[in-house]
Amino acid sequence: MADHTVQESNDPEKQGKPEFLLPVEDEEELRKLLVPDPENLPATPPSAVETNFVSYFAPDFTKPGHDQYVYRHANGLCVVGLAPGHLAFKDEGGITAVDFNVGKSDRSGMKVTGKRKKNAQHFESNTAICKVSTKGDSYIVRCCVKGSLLEVNDRLIKQPGLLNSSADREGYVAIMMPRPADWLKVKASLMSGEEYAKLREVRVLN
Amino acid sequence: MPGETEAVSLSGTPTTAELAAVSNEEETRILSDAIRSLPPQAVKDLLNSEVCIGCILRLFGFREHFHFRSSISSSMLHSVLGESEHLEHYGILAGSKSGEELEVQQIVCRMCLGILQYLYRNDKGILVQKLSADGLAAYVDEMIKQDGHEIDGFSLELSVPPVLSEHDNAVWSYMKKKYGQEVGIAEETSKCVSVKDALKLAITYPLENMLDVKSSSIPSSFRIRLTYSQTKPSSSMAKSPGETNESCKRRKTADMNGVPVRSSNFSGDQKSSEPCNFPLEKVNEPYYLALVCCRTPIYIGGRYLKFSRNVSQTRWIIDDERKGESSVEEIIGSNILPACQGDSYKFHAAGREDIDVRMLGSGRPFMVEVQNARRVPSEAIIKETETKINSLEEKLVAVKNLKLEVNNGWGLMHEGESEKQKQYCSLVWISRTLEDEDVQNITASKDMKVLQRTPIRVLHRRSPLEREKIIHWMKVERVAGSSQYFLLHLCTQAGTYIKEFVHGDFGRTNPSIGSILGCRAEILQLDVTDVKMDGF
Repeated sequence: MADHTVQESNDPEKQGKPEFLLPVEDEEELRKLLVPDPENLPATPPSAVETNFVSYFAPDFTKPGHDQYVYRHANGLCVVGLAPGHLAFKDEGGITAVDFNVGKSDRSGMKVTGKRKKNAQHFESNTAICKVSTKGDSYIVRCCVKGSLLEVNDRLIKQPGLLNSSADREGYVAIMMPRPADWLKVKASLMSGEEYAKLREVRVLN
Repeated sequence: MPGETEAVSLSGTPTTAELAAVSNEEETRILSDAIRSLPPQAVKDLLNSEVCIGCILRLFGFREHFHFRSSISSSMLHSVLGESEHLEHYGILAGSKSGEELEVQQIVCRMCLGILQYLYRNDKGILVQKLSADGLAAYVDEMIKQDGHEIDGFSLELSVPPVLSEHDNAVWSYMKKKYGQEVGIAEETSKCVSVKDALKLAITYPLENMLDVKSSSIPSSFRIRLTYSQTKPSSSMAKSPGETNESCKRRKTADMNGVPVRSSNFSGDQKSSEPCNFPLEKVNEPYYLALVCCRTPIYIGGRYLKFSRNVSQTRWIIDDERKGESSVEEIIGSNILPACQGDSYKFHAAGREDIDVRMLGSGRPFMVEVQNARRVPSEAIIKETETKINSLEEKLVAVKNLKLEVNNGWGLMHEGESEKQKQYCSLVWISRTLEDEDVQNITASKDMKVLQRTPIRVLHRRSPLEREKIIHWMKVERVAGSSQYFLLHLCTQAGTYIKEFVHGDFGRTNPSIGSILGCRAEILQLDVTDVKMDGF
């Protein structure tokens, strides 16, 4: 590979910007490697969730209309939250408040530390994580999966609207870590995104 | 001191030239004079209690004589001692010339257990008798050559069981008590040269000659280690009168390094202060000798580039299945190993990238540690190896600046790992059209602080923490033919998770490209374009 001096590119945005220097050697080669072929780019690429997680759904979880999702990562961790068909979204004004102080403790207060996830509480699938309230009603959101509760989305306390705008991403509720055996048990009772979409006649956007 | 009137004076450490100048006859004469200078009764006493000539000489502080190849023949002893009884015993203890490998029962010196008689048991348990230090050196030489080592120096390490120094003390105090009036033993402290020192004196020069290199006192990279040990438990001390067998006997088991390991049968105190008595116990078998010749690890370093999105950095095998096509570690290591003719290698890199992330630009610094290289590769061979790796048919990995590293390179790699800045290029898609304002917005930010919770994809094996990282600068490069795709060039603090910075990781990385632009952002590809580090 021959050495080249830095070449000013034709891109007007790049000229005269001293910090932006591709490494001196082989700049041409490097550029060729980096720039994609527009023909190969899909109009809407798969999302990070779609690529890295498998989506499962639990309609009417413990109560009618309490639909929840479980996104499972290849490493076994599960992100849980409200599925599009949840009753709370049908209430006027949508979700207005989120409270993690349910059951015996405030779920937003726990501190999980270390690689071994010390202090993580072990919960059953029907253990309550939080309560979401709309103008006239309130609903309990549950673990859905038996395992250790690693994290709750405490951002929801100050920004409950996240559930209305993006319940499947920034509006996630919690992260669970089930044991492999426990996961296999619960998996049997969950349904796929396709089935759920058909059931509720909604689009399951990933 | 004997030998002072000779042409060659052997005070201090003689040079190779001085030694070479001493003829065989002179050697024999110097040796005989040495023996003659000692009280004859003392010498007979020692010989009678099965102490070899080597140990007799070192007991009285004679050092230089260990350089000699000649030994005292039985006839010489006869003339020195003036007696004819037990000459065959004396002959063997003195080092006879009756053949190399002897299988008849040898009289093993009770003080050095055969070490200075060049008598030992090999790893198969077979008794081996070398005639002299040369024989032992030849054994080492053969092993080194057989293994194919190319060396330019060596350091000699000897390990003997600690009980030998107790033997020395016991014999010395007996000598002092009985012959204290005579010349040469009046001092309080022992002049005794240790077995280790004596052996080292004896074989260093022959080794240097045969290997055609110099030994060094500072640890050289090539180690020759002789370990004498007794793998079977044995009682090493004589009983003192009036005590029972049990309380006096100490069972000592030695591991391969000659370090005594107390077995559960041990009764009595833990200190090694139980005195040996003269005469020492009869020894039936000499020590085992384990010979190990190997080179300390060498380091070959450089920078690597990874062009494939299906090659992991290190071997990645889960449930017997390999992840990815190959690994950087194996591609580089499997070519460096034969160039050094080593036993095995370890791969070290300054940081790492995901399997689906390419490593481009200046490349990432790495070092391959090679165990027991048979040769230190020359510049030419290293250059050849670099070319070989870069010419592989599948252009998965390339290396740059491949060179032999002195140990400093090692520290450099780890130091500053957290201070290193990294440069990346990512292909980003957003859920709306990219506006000029967006481009300006992104480009304008300098040293942006980002809070990242441990990404979900690594949360199973890393601590849940919130880490603050810095994005030093960003640059947007539009992709011709697309309104929603662009190339994001960025320079960040080491340890920043780029993928999560783009897609936000469920909002757990803040800010993110998505949050900055107020829309959904996804990352399709990531490449590392620079790892800043000097010296590689």
